[in-house]
Amino acid sequence: MSANPNTTGPGPAAVPETIVEFKNVWKRFSGKEILAGVNLQIRKGEILCVLGPSGTGKSVTLRHIIGLTHPDEGDVIVFGKSVVNLSEEALAPVRRRAAMLFQGGALFDSMNVEQNVGFPLREHTTKTPREIAETVAEKLSMVGLPGVQRKMPSELSGGMRKRVALARSIALEPEIILYDEPTTGLDPLTSEKIGQLIVDINKRIKTTSIVVTHDIVMARTVSDRLAFLHQGRFQFIGTFSEASRGGHPILMEYFRSMGFPCGTGLIQVVKDL
Amino acid sequence: MSAPQGQFSGPQPSATAIFYRNIRWLRFVDRFGKKGQAAMEYLGGMAEMAGQTIRACFTRPFYSGEVLSQLDEIGVKSVSITGITAFSTGMVLALQTAYALAAFGGKMFVGRVVALSLLRELGPVLTALMVGGRVGSGITAEIGSMVVTEQVDALRTMAVSPIRRLVAPRVLATTFMLPVLTALADMLGILGGLLIAVVELNMTAQDYLGSIWNQLAISDIMSGLSKTFFFGFEIAVIGCWNGLKVEGGASAVGVATTRTVVLASICVLISDFFLTKLFLAL
Repeated sequence: MSANPNTTGPGPAAVPETIVEFKNVWKRFSGKEILAGVNLQIRKGEILCVLGPSGTGKSVTLRHIIGLTHPDEGDVIVFGKSVVNLSEEALAPVRRRAAMLFQGGALFDSMNVEQNVGFPLREHTTKTPREIAETVAEKLSMVGLPGVQRKMPSELSGGMRKRVALARSIALEPEIILYDEPTTGLDPLTSEKIGQLIVDINKRIKTTSIVVTHDIVMARTVSDRLAFLHQGRFQFIGTFSEASRGGHPILMEYFRSMGFPCGTGLIQVVKDL
Repeated sequence: MSAPQGQFSGPQPSATAIFYRNIRWLRFVDRFGKKGQAAMEYLGGMAEMAGQTIRACFTRPFYSGEVLSQLDEIGVKSVSITGITAFSTGMVLALQTAYALAAFGGKMFVGRVVALSLLRELGPVLTALMVGGRVGSGITAEIGSMVVTEQVDALRTMAVSPIRRLVAPRVLATTFMLPVLTALADMLGILGGLLIAVVELNMTAQDYLGSIWNQLAISDIMSGLSKTFFFGFEIAVIGCWNGLKVEGGASAVGVATTRTVVLASICVLISDFFLTKLFLAL
C-alpha cells in the first residue's frame, strides 16, 4: 500500500490492462483467517512475485485465481469476469486460458513425459497425434529438456520434473501462468535456470506470470513487481528497488534475514556492515 | 459475566454458575451434533458424487481408454483372488453339508445345497468382499495419493473433471466386472464342490451335477448376479469418495484406505440383506 512515488521507478507510461483483480477477498480455514481483505490488481504481461513468510496464504491467493479455492467474501475477477462460486463447468473457459505450475510438479505418474505434456492438447484441441508429438517436442526443448519423452516422472529429478510440468503448463500457450513456489527444494543453479525460464516464457508466449515464492534472489531477477503478503493483506506492492529502498518494515526485516542489505539508501547498508 | 447479580439468599446457585452448567451441557450436545453433521456431510457428499458419476457415464466426453484399462485392472486382475476364494468355499461347503446331511441319508443333496448357497448368497457376497478389499482399497490409495500430490488439482486446473476422468471409469468398471467375477466364482465354487464330492464322498460326477441341473431355477442365478451390480457400484463409489476426501499427507491416505475396506464391507453386508429381501419379494 505504501509504494513510494519516487521518481526513479521505471513506471510504464500508459496504464496497462488489468487481467486479474482481487477485491476485498476474505478466506478462513477452520476459523483461522488466512486472507483478510486482500486487494490486488495484476497487469497484463507483467511478472508479479508474491512474497511472504510460510503459511500466510500465498498459495491460497494463487488458488483463488483459477477457482480451486473460493473466497468467503469478496470478489476475484479474471479476464474481466468473476470466478467466485462458479461451478467446475463454468470455470472451464477460464481454466483453458490459464495454467498453474504446482509445487511438486503434479505430473501424472501413470503417464510418461510425452503423455503428460500432451495431456492438455489431447483434452482441448483437435490436433492429430503427430501434431501433438511435435508440440510436445517443441515445448520440451523450450524448457531445455529435449528427448525425454519416453521417461516416466519417477525417473526424473525434482528440477526436471518441474521443468516438464512447466512444459505441460505452456502446452496450450496460456495467457496467465501461476507458479506455486517454483524453486522450493531446488539447488541454487537449478533455481536460477527456472527463473530464467519464467522470464523467457513470459516474453516468448506473452503471458502474465504470477510467482509465489520465498526466494528473494529469484524475485529480484524475474519480477516486474513484488507483492508482500503479511497478516492476510498485501502490505507492499511495488518494484524490487522500491522495496529495498524502504517498502515496509516487515518486508525489510524479511529481506535482511535473507541476507539482502536494504534500508533507506546507503546509510543502512553501511550500518549493516 | 462478572457483573453483580443482585442479592443472593441461601445456597441458590448464581446466575453465572447456571450459565456455565448449561454451557457444559450444550457443549456435550454440540459435540454429538458436530459428529452427526460431519457424518451427514460425508454421506451427502458421497451421494452427490454418485449422482455426478452417473451423469458423467451418460454424457460426453467419455474416457473409453480409461474404462478399458480399469476393466483390466479391476476385473481381470481380481480373477485369481476371487477364484481361489470361491473354489475353497465350494470344497468346504461340500464337506460340511455332507457331514450335516449324512445323518439323514441326504448325501444326494450335496450338489444342490452347494450350488444354491453359492449362487444365491456366498458367491456374490464373498466376491464383493474380496473385491472390496482389493479394488476398493486400491482405488482409494491411488486417488488419495493423486490428491496429496496435487494431481487432482492439476486435472481441475486443466479443465478436466476428476469425476469424469477418474471416478466414472472406476465405477463403471467395478459395476460391470463384479457380476462377471461372481459368475466365474459361482462356477469355480461348484467345481470345488464337485472335486470333494468325487474324491471324498464317493459320489459320481453325474449325481452331483445332475442334482444341481435338475433343481436349479434361472431365478436362483439371477437373484445372485443382480445383487452384484449394486455391490460393485457401492464399492467403487466408497473407494473414490474416500480417495477424493483425503486431506494432508501420506498417513491420511492410509487412514482413508482402511476406512474404505471397513465401509465397503459393511455396506455390502447390509445392502445384501435388503437386496435379498427385495428380490425374494419380486
